[in-house]
Parts: sequence; C-alpha cells; structure tokens
Amino acid sequence: MSENGKKTMAKQKSNKFWVFLILVAIGAATFIFGLNGRHPERAWQAYLINFLLWSAIAQGAVLFSAVMHMTKARWSGPLSGLSESFTAFFPISYILFLLLFLGKAHIFPWLHEDLHGKEVWLNIPFLFTRDCIGLLILYILGFGYLFNAMQLKLDPNQPKSKLRQSIYDAWKRNNRQPDQIRRRMTIWGGLYILAFALVLCLIGFDLIMSMDPHWISTLFGAYHFVKAFYMGLGALIILAAIIRLRQGEASRLNASHFHDIGKLYFAFCLLWADFFYVQLLVIYYGNIPEETHYVIIRTVLAPWNKLAWTVFIVCFIGPFFILLRQGVKTKPVLMLIICSVVIVGLWLEHLLLLAPALSHEATQAIPLSLSDGLISLGFLGLMAFAIGYFLKVFPETIRVKESN
Amino acid sequence: MSQLTYAKIDQTILNTLTPPKKYYWGIIFLLFLGVMIGAACWTHQIFTGIGVGGQNNPVGWGTYLINFVFWVGIAHSGTLISAILHLFRAGWRNPIARAAETMTVFAVCIAGLFPFIHLGRVWQVYYMLPVPNQRLLWPNFLSPLMFDVIAISTYLTVSSLFWYTGLLPDIAAIRDRSTCNRYKIFKILALGWTGAHEQWRHYARGYLFFAALATPLVISVHSVVSWDFALGIIPGWHTTIFAPYFVAGAIHSGLAMVLTLMIPLRKLFKYEDIITIEVLQNVAKTIVFTGLIVGLAYGTEFFIAWYSRNIVEVEQFRWRAFGDYRWGFYFMVLCNTMAPLLFLFKKVRTTIAALFIISLVINFGMWWERFVIIVGGVAHGFPPHAWGLYAPSLIEYGIMLGAFCLFFFMFVLFVKHMPSISMTEMKETLAEGAGHAA
Amino acid sequence: MPRERHIMGLFRDEDSVVSAINELKQSRYKFIRVNTPFPSHKIMDALKLKKSMVGWFTLCGGILGFIGGFGLAVYASTQWNLIVGGKPVIAWVPFVIVGFEATILCSVFGNVIGLLTQARLPSYRWLRYYDPRCSGEYFGVLAACEIEQEDGLKEFFQKQGADVKVFE
Repeated sequence: MSENGKKTMAKQKSNKFWVFLILVAIGAATFIFGLNGRHPERAWQAYLINFLLWSAIAQGAVLFSAVMHMTKARWSGPLSGLSESFTAFFPISYILFLLLFLGKAHIFPWLHEDLHGKEVWLNIPFLFTRDCIGLLILYILGFGYLFNAMQLKLDPNQPKSKLRQSIYDAWKRNNRQPDQIRRRMTIWGGLYILAFALVLCLIGFDLIMSMDPHWISTLFGAYHFVKAFYMGLGALIILAAIIRLRQGEASRLNASHFHDIGKLYFAFCLLWADFFYVQLLVIYYGNIPEETHYVIIRTVLAPWNKLAWTVFIVCFIGPFFILLRQGVKTKPVLMLIICSVVIVGLWLEHLLLLAPALSHEATQAIPLSLSDGLISLGFLGLMAFAIGYFLKVFPETIRVKESN
Repeated sequence: MSQLTYAKIDQTILNTLTPPKKYYWGIIFLLFLGVMIGAACWTHQIFTGIGVGGQNNPVGWGTYLINFVFWVGIAHSGTLISAILHLFRAGWRNPIARAAETMTVFAVCIAGLFPFIHLGRVWQVYYMLPVPNQRLLWPNFLSPLMFDVIAISTYLTVSSLFWYTGLLPDIAAIRDRSTCNRYKIFKILALGWTGAHEQWRHYARGYLFFAALATPLVISVHSVVSWDFALGIIPGWHTTIFAPYFVAGAIHSGLAMVLTLMIPLRKLFKYEDIITIEVLQNVAKTIVFTGLIVGLAYGTEFFIAWYSRNIVEVEQFRWRAFGDYRWGFYFMVLCNTMAPLLFLFKKVRTTIAALFIISLVINFGMWWERFVIIVGGVAHGFPPHAWGLYAPSLIEYGIMLGAFCLFFFMFVLFVKHMPSISMTEMKETLAEGAGHAA
Repeated sequence: MPRERHIMGLFRDEDSVVSAINELKQSRYKFIRVNTPFPSHKIMDALKLKKSMVGWFTLCGGILGFIGGFGLAVYASTQWNLIVGGKPVIAWVPFVIVGFEATILCSVFGNVIGLLTQARLPSYRWLRYYDPRCSGEYFGVLAACEIEQEDGLKEFFQKQGADVKVFE
C-alpha cells in the first residue's frame, strides 16, 4: 500500500472513531437530559434495556469463538477472530453495570414492595455483589480465552503500540508452544461457556425476571442466554458483512462462511422462538393466575399486545421465511439488513419484558420515544468504538492466517 | 483410519453378515424369553385389568410412563447423531450413524408400546385416533396426550423413513454380493438402486432435507413428551424449563446408550479401525456437555423453588432431596451430572471399560431421574392428605424386562442381518479425507 | 436400439473418472451415466447437473401438512364445540403443536415421494446396464456406441486405465 493510501486509510479510521464518539456523546447527553427531566425512570429504563442488550451481544458473540474452538469446527475461519473482537466491549459493559447502581431507585420496582420473604435474594447489596462477581468472572474468563487465542494469530511484524508491546512481552515470557496454547484455549473456552450459561441465567433472573418479583419462570435464565447467542451471532454477521463489503476479497470471508453462519443464525432464530413458545405454552395451559398475569399484560392487553406481535413477527416470522431461501444467506448486504432489524426487534423485546413492570402508568401508549432511540445510539457508538479500537490494535484479526 | 480402503470397509462390514455362531442364537433365545415374559405379563394385565400394576391414588403414573419417557429419550440421540451432526458436517458421526439411527427406530417402537400398555383396556385406543366414527366423537387435540399420539407417530414414521433411506445404498451393496435367497430379498429391498448419478443427485438433496426436518422434530417430540407433565399444574411438574431440560436429558441418556451398544459391537465385529477411540471420545465429550445442561436444570429448579417462596413448591423440592424417594434423587444427581464429569479426564475417555461402565451408570441415573420427576410430582402434590407412595408391582417389572429385552432382541437381530455401519458414508468420509490430504 | 452397444468402464479412483467423463463428452461416443458407490463431490461437480427438484415436493408437503394439521385440530374442536379446561374452543397456542408435527410429517412424505419419483425408484430397469462392482470399490462409467465402434470404445476405456464390461 502506498504512503498516500496508508494515510487515507488512517484518516478514514480516525474519522470513524470521531463518528462513534459523537454518537456516544449524543447518547450520554440525552440520558443526562432525561435524568433531569420529569421521568428519570424512563431514562434509566432505556439505560437498562441497552445495557442488557449490548452486553448480551458482546457475550454471545465471544461465545461463538469459544464454541467453534471446543467443537474443533473448521468452517469458521476468520469469523472466530472477528467474534473475539467483541471482548473489547467487556470492560465498557462492566463499567455500565456499576453505573446502574446509581439508578437503583428507579430501576428496581421491588425496592419498596413487600416481597414476602424474597428480600433474602432481592436486596440491593446482595444483588449487586453477586452480579458484579458473576460478570467479573465471565469477563476475566473471556479475556483469558482471548489472550491465548490472539497469540496464535499475532503477526509479530505489525507496528507495536504500548498495549501490543506489553501483551507481546507477556507472551514471550510465557513461551508456549501452539499445542499448549490450544489446550489452554480449550480450558479457558470451556470455562467461559460454563460461566456464560450460569452468569447470563443469573442476569436474566436478577435484572429482567425479578422486575416483576411475584412471577417465576424456570426457563427464563436459559431463555436469556439463548437470546444472547442469537443476538451475538447477528452482530457477528453484521460485523463480517461490513468487513467484507469494505475489504472485498482481502477479508478472506467468502460466500461459504456467510452461508454457514447464516444457517447457524437461522437455527438460533428457531431456538429462540422455541424457548419463547415453551414458556408461553406452559403458562397459558396451566392458567395459574400467579403466572398468567405477566403474560396476559404483555401479549393480550393493550398497549403491549401490539408490541408483542411486532416482536414476534420481526424476530421470528420474518427471519424464518426470509432465511429459508439459500441465496439470502450468502449476500452480506441482505444479512446485514436482516440481522440489524432483528436486533432492533430484540431491543423491543426487552422493552416488552421490562417496561410493563417499570412503567406502571403506561396504559395507553407504549413508553417509547425519540430519547430511547438516541440513548441506544449512544450505546451503539460505544460498541462500535470498542470493536473499532480492537481491530485497530489487532489488525491481523481480519487478515488471519488459518492456524486454528 | 489411514489403512482403510473401500475394499477393507466393505470387507469388514460384510464379514459381520456371515452366518452367526451358535452363541449368537443362544443370546437371541434368552432375549426372546425375556420378551415372552413381558408379553405374558402384559397379557395378564389385559385380562385382569390395569390394577395389577402398582399405580393407584395418588400416583397414577408409574413405570409405564417412566419407561415411555426413557425410551423416547434414548431414541433422540440417534437422530441427533445421524441428522444434527450431519448438518454440522461433523465427520466423526459417520461410523456410528447407522447403529444410532437403528437404535432410534427400535427405541421409538418400544416407547410407543408403553402408552398402549398403560391403557389397560388396549382395544379402547380407538378413542385416540382421529378418524370419523359412528359415535361422532373426535379426540381432544387440546390434550397433551393427543400431542403425544401425533408426535410419537410422526417421529416413528420419519425415523423409519430416514433410516431406510440411509440404508438403501448399503442394501444395494449387499444385494450385489449375495446369492440365492438373500439376493432375492435384498433385490426387492434395494428398490433397484444402482448408484447412478441421476439417483445420487436427488438422494443427496432428499437426505439433506431429511436431516433438516428431523432436527426440529427431535426437539419438538421430547418437548411434547415433557408437556405431558409440564402442562399439569402440580408442583414439580408445572415448570417452563421442562421442554429443553427433557431434550437435553434425552440426548444425554441416548448418547450413553450409544456407548453401551457400540463398545461391545466394535469388539465383537472387529470395528476398531472404523469406530475408533476418537469417535468414542467425541461421544464422551458430548456427554459431558449434556450432563452439565441437565445439572444446570436441576439447580435452576431448586433455585426457583426457593426464590418463589411458594410453600408448595418449596415443600415439593425439600421432599425431593430429603423425603421418601431421596435415594432416587441422589442417584439422579450423582449418575447424571457427577459421573460424566469423569470424562473430562482424557485417561477416562480413552479407556474402553470406563466408557462402558459410566455409560451404564448414566442410563441407570436417567431412569431414576424420570422416576423422581414423574412419581415424585404426583406423590407429593398440593394437599398433604393426598400424599402417598408408589412401588412397581411384579407385573410392571416383568413388562419392563420385556421392553429392555425386546430392544436388545431387535438390535442384535439387526446387526447380524443388516450392515451396522454405513458403508456408503464411510467410503465418502475416506474419499473426502483423501481429498483434504491431497 | 438394436444397433447400439453399451460398454461400462470401471475405474478405481475419482480423478480418472472425471477425466474419462470429460473426454467422453467430447468424443463421438454417447455418455449415459456414471455409477458410484457413494456420492462423490468431484464427479457430481464435473457432471454440472441441475439442482434437484425434490425440495419442491418437500415444500408442498409441508404446506399441506401445516394446513391439514391446524385444520384437523380446529375441526375436531368445533365438532365438540364446548369450552374444555378453560381454553377457548379454537385454542391456537396448543394447536401450534399439532400443526407443527403435521407439517414435519407431510414434508417428509413429500420428500420421500419427491425422491422416489425424481430418482425413478423403485425400478429394476436401472439394473439393466449395471455391474455389481459399482457398489463396492469401482466407479462405473456407462457409454454407448454403434456396434461397429465397439472396439474403439473398449480401447478408449482401457487407455484411461479402466476395466471394461460389455453389455449384450
């Protein structure tokens, strides 16, 4: 690449970063504006939904690489590396979770309710302690996996920033053979998968299900982690599509990669819908008022029933019929659009699950407005910034040699 | 694997179809005796009534349901291996796919017997069949038991068709190497298959659709079976986690049964070059995964029962861990989640004896899991005055023995008369392996 | 056709089959088919076949099954026409299961019908020009020629390194 070419690339890259930071600024400004307005709980609701959504996306995307390694799948190629880039969001997610503590009065509806004994589990100190520890463990395992996985990909000839240099030195100190590294990847990866299941179950129970403290569904935790993998795969496809569209052949992503991950995405679309239906059927059929009130509010009564149908069509019916055709899965542009729409749909699904509990006054209209969208843009900016930064520090993620 | 050639594959597998030795017929005879005992017990029940079983108030569902769920569960991993792993292009499934698919078909047949047995007055099965009749009655499709009828019969039909389709090229191979009577029979069975490219073109597509359709079927069938319980309202039964929990448990027990069947098979038929230790290791690793899912489900049920602060839920789970059937619970947890963790150690995964013993332990534990769930749920429901216990009767033990013997009887008959490894898929694997190396 | 002779060349590896097919298609002999013991990707790619229509049969079966399954459940419920278990007469949530299973069942039937009709099975006519070695370790390439050119075709196969079988 010529000197001019390199300069333009670098300029383009820094332009990108400015765009992301502007998005983050817009989001933060809207959030703070909302906090000082008449309905701070609306701002916190948007914050919670976005925190859950984007963290789940990052956690689910990284799971892809761990699963591909554990099953010794060979078809993923550069996709594994791209999925590892989502670990960059982990520190941001953790800080966002800690900040959630500031809004506790507005987020947890059970703070001033009589919980009939559930206070043992649902109290602020215990909840935050266990979720902090859980997320910390999950993210440390993710980084441990990443540390080993990157070692196999690292191109020592790249110019070194301080961060790269320190990581590189750590690798040199350890001085391990590729076989040993792969074994360590298996251990870190296996533990990450285990922690993923347990921690996301915990988050699902603590931060979503408990918003209606008198409702239970044993599958809810697992439903959350299946949703996370569904979203993570979608985000990975979006990233892969962007890389493919910008770099073409140089990205080493070809049609068969998109076809394969498209099929996996389709499978998880079905699995997500299955986990949704399974809960719906059992609660509908048992017709026990303790359980049905939650579902009736969200699926039968206005204004939420319209939202429920929207979510169902956007996240299941649409992708199901569109992705049945083989041709769609191999076109990056189409997949980018479909996966983006599905993530928006799953944002709405989080709204559907959380808002009836958080916004009791909403009986006429769904509490959704421009500020929610702007705050979400802020989170999108954070995610894009994190991934962009990762890809800048480790460009060989995109130009990976097939050593896995 | 590297010394395999097309000829060696053919030879190894066709060697298993030679006329069997005396002790084979001895085993068949013993198994047949077991089947006859089961048949005699069932006949006795038909003439005397369902009361000869141990089920009564409050436990109306006993070993017949436990065995039903057990056998459907075993069937599931066969389809997982032959269909789902085919979609994932996991080559290690090829040596065991045929035997696993066969296990599925036979296990579904056995499973399908149990609701029939549980009817007592078996001739009344017509109430469940959706055909126009002079009583002007139709079955109630709202009932989970009707879901079962539809799901199990679909599963049996689809599995059999999938199994036969997979067998077709191999049947042709045997036809081409047979004489006299065997040639005549296999000529009819092979439907004129010759491996022409016009045939393969459609076959490959059809097989892919089979695999793609069998996958959601597997998940839905055991979910339907779990809804026999989850759609009721009693604590311990009415919980949303049942569908994926049962599916994971089914695959868990089925994989264990695959190991139980494959290990003696590979020894007796000298399949060590084809069903390598690598294949068995992969099955063992998958068992660790399913065992952990099942463990997560156990833990979640207890957690939510505690979290709910619902005295009925709390009591049901307290009793499960400390009550009259606590030993079943301990077997369940130890055998299903703890024992498979031994497979994390490579030494254990590569020792044939360990693989075999742990697979038996898992199946034992999975049977007890169904006992704990099914009997435990009804025995300790809402009103304390209606709590009661259950013990199977001799007739039930006899029928259970008959069912197990029938499964092994059919399987042992199969492996000596049909190819227990898919010659076609093994050759395909070999060709692709050579392609990769080249 | 009485003046045609069918000859099969039996090869032992896929690559020679592919080159034989390509040369055969350019020669004056008629290429009819290749019989293989397993579906070889190389050979299938070399033949440049059109996509199979079996999928359409499966889809039709699936649609029929979907409508049929729901239809059966709805019909049966409306015949009884009373509220049972607190559920409405036509309860869509549980009926999804009946519809789903029926969809899968009829898709599979469609798949089987498609497979049988498209592959023209069962039929013993396939066995007319067939060598049993083709289900073992050989790949059989079947070609036809005029009776006079019989020797030419035999030589063609032998030059490619194949065993030759002549059909009467």
